[in-house]
Amino acid sequence: MRTLLLAAAGAAALSLGMSVQADAADIKIGMPMILSGPGALFGEPTLKGAQMFVDEINAKGGVLGRKLQLISKDSKGNADEAVRVAREMILKDEVDFIVGTFTGAEGPAVSPIAKENKIVFVAPVSKPDALTAPKNLHPYLFRTATTTTIEGRSAAELIAKLPVKRVATISPDYAYGQEVTAAFVAHLKKIKPEMEIVDQQWPKLGEADYTPFINAQLAKQPEAVFSSLWGGHFVTFIKQATPLGYFKRINNNFVAGGEAGSIESAKAIGDDYPLGIWGNSYDVFNWEDGPAAHKDFIERLKKFTGAEQPSSWPSVGYIAMQVLVEGIRKANSTKSDDVAKALLGITVDTPIGKQIISPKNHSANRGQFWGKMVKDPRYSFAVMEKPVYVDPTPFLD
Amino acid sequence: MLEPSFLFGQFVGGLSIAMFLFLIASGLALIFGVLRILNFAHGSFYMIGAYLAWQIVHVLDAKTGGTFWLAVLGAAAAVAILGAVIERFLLRPLYGREELYQLLFTYALVLVLADAAKIIWGTQQLSVSRPPSLAGASTIFGAVVPHYNLFIMALGPIVAALVWFILHRTHIGRMVRAAALDREMLGALGADVGRIYTVMFAFGSFLAGLAGALVTPIKTVNPGMDVEIIVEAFIVIVIGGLGSLWGAFFGALIYGQFLSFGILIFPRFSIFAVFALMAIILVIRPWGLFGKPLSR
Repeated sequence: MRTLLLAAAGAAALSLGMSVQADAADIKIGMPMILSGPGALFGEPTLKGAQMFVDEINAKGGVLGRKLQLISKDSKGNADEAVRVAREMILKDEVDFIVGTFTGAEGPAVSPIAKENKIVFVAPVSKPDALTAPKNLHPYLFRTATTTTIEGRSAAELIAKLPVKRVATISPDYAYGQEVTAAFVAHLKKIKPEMEIVDQQWPKLGEADYTPFINAQLAKQPEAVFSSLWGGHFVTFIKQATPLGYFKRINNNFVAGGEAGSIESAKAIGDDYPLGIWGNSYDVFNWEDGPAAHKDFIERLKKFTGAEQPSSWPSVGYIAMQVLVEGIRKANSTKSDDVAKALLGITVDTPIGKQIISPKNHSANRGQFWGKMVKDPRYSFAVMEKPVYVDPTPFLD
Repeated sequence: MLEPSFLFGQFVGGLSIAMFLFLIASGLALIFGVLRILNFAHGSFYMIGAYLAWQIVHVLDAKTGGTFWLAVLGAAAAVAILGAVIERFLLRPLYGREELYQLLFTYALVLVLADAAKIIWGTQQLSVSRPPSLAGASTIFGAVVPHYNLFIMALGPIVAALVWFILHRTHIGRMVRAAALDREMLGALGADVGRIYTVMFAFGSFLAGLAGALVTPIKTVNPGMDVEIIVEAFIVIVIGGLGSLWGAFFGALIYGQFLSFGILIFPRFSIFAVFALMAIILVIRPWGLFGKPLSR
């Protein structure tokens, strides 16, 4: 019996050693991702999307004859931790590329590490414009996320079409909320100068009670409002604003960024969702007017995650990986210097359409889905009525 | 724009902030006042209370009227039991040691409970609707006030009065106050100090669980709600004077109005309001509103 056990252990050790050797030929991609705390709700599905892409490409034999290996570590939504984890991946795991980080603080913190180690870094979610501003841009940095400029301008385009004059904003008082609101206000003034910003509320991130902000805003009698409260903050705001008659007073002319139209937010609010407002999302499972490639993606995603109405976040992980791999393919090399050059100006056919990495700011033309939130008898939560993918190309500089 | 109805609306908004905050801070003040423990995990008990309330509402039929109240009491009671177990078996061995150990322990508890909540309930944002009986709103002096907020504004003073009554007008209250003054002497007189501590810790936890359950109709339930609230709750009890129940009550009231009217003058006020208030009060009264200066 004992010998048998020993033999088994030896065999296990051997096969382990062999698998390590086989792995040496894999292309390693490190993914620092928020996997704990409140942000895990978004980080986990983002990682799943990346994993789905890796599984799909490996099933087809990988890229340049080599398989992909995804190594993910918890960044805890904290810039310092994201930097530590990225360093560890580069030095210990010897990853070839970094695809990841989540919050607006993590992306800009990891970017210098990529520059220092000359490793291509693709940011799938970090929105702040500052990440790819000329003074921070370097040859190895790329972004497939949308930006605060794109999001703010998309919302301004929407509000400009409404028959209103008096516009207000409510946003969390930190980098993302400030940047996206500034982009919204500047663009609205440009395309519809007759509209007037009558009020701006700045609750802190994680405000427990929005009642005084809501009351103060209504006193200025806005006819439409742009919000960038996201995730649980948006849910809390909705629960407090509805009984105060907020949405009725502004005729549901509420345009909510921060992925307020995502299935995650809709499910969390349930029956209390104020129908008729506008929300956005990185992806939607009910894009009925969408291309066949998107419908096929959603079907595969359903199988991969086992969810009948899949999350809106896997899309961002999937597309970030897809862009990187297209870069590897085009460069016909896994050296970061070659891949970085190949990525400039590359066009990739993604499930949501063509994504082009601008050679100017290394960022994709990533728009989001926007639509009016309605109740559909097929689902137990609010969904976008006829979601529209807003391509930002016409209103980018 | 400065119509009376608008100002009244701002006042009521501040009042509702204050009473929610007081419900959370009351248990924290009580535990510090009696046990001399700064319980970082108070926010975690609050979070567990919220999750349990959601769980009970969703296991029972959410449509019947009494479900919500059953969930609130059930969640608070369960958190009280959790608190009692933690005090009896984990915290008690640390009483003789330096305060640093107790701080480290309650901080560790924050991490453990956050992970436990994530394992049990996942990372989803969960939501509980208002109880049907309090779903509406009334217009008072021209300001819309949701009935649920009215209920919380009434509950705050009731909880404060009840806790005061228990502490100052009952036998157990006398024992508790004696234990806070000199636990060794009380023990020497034959009282079961250990049991008093367990009961008080459980009661403080009950208040945290109650606040967590009561907050679910106006706030999303998600991981992170524990640390989100603990800083404000701590600052409120510091403003009020550590361990003083009425201090926490008036500290919360002042903070609510300070924030509510402050944002009218400075639009970017919210982000530093609570720290500004703490700085002002501690400059004037370093021991807080209702605290006593150390005389040693």
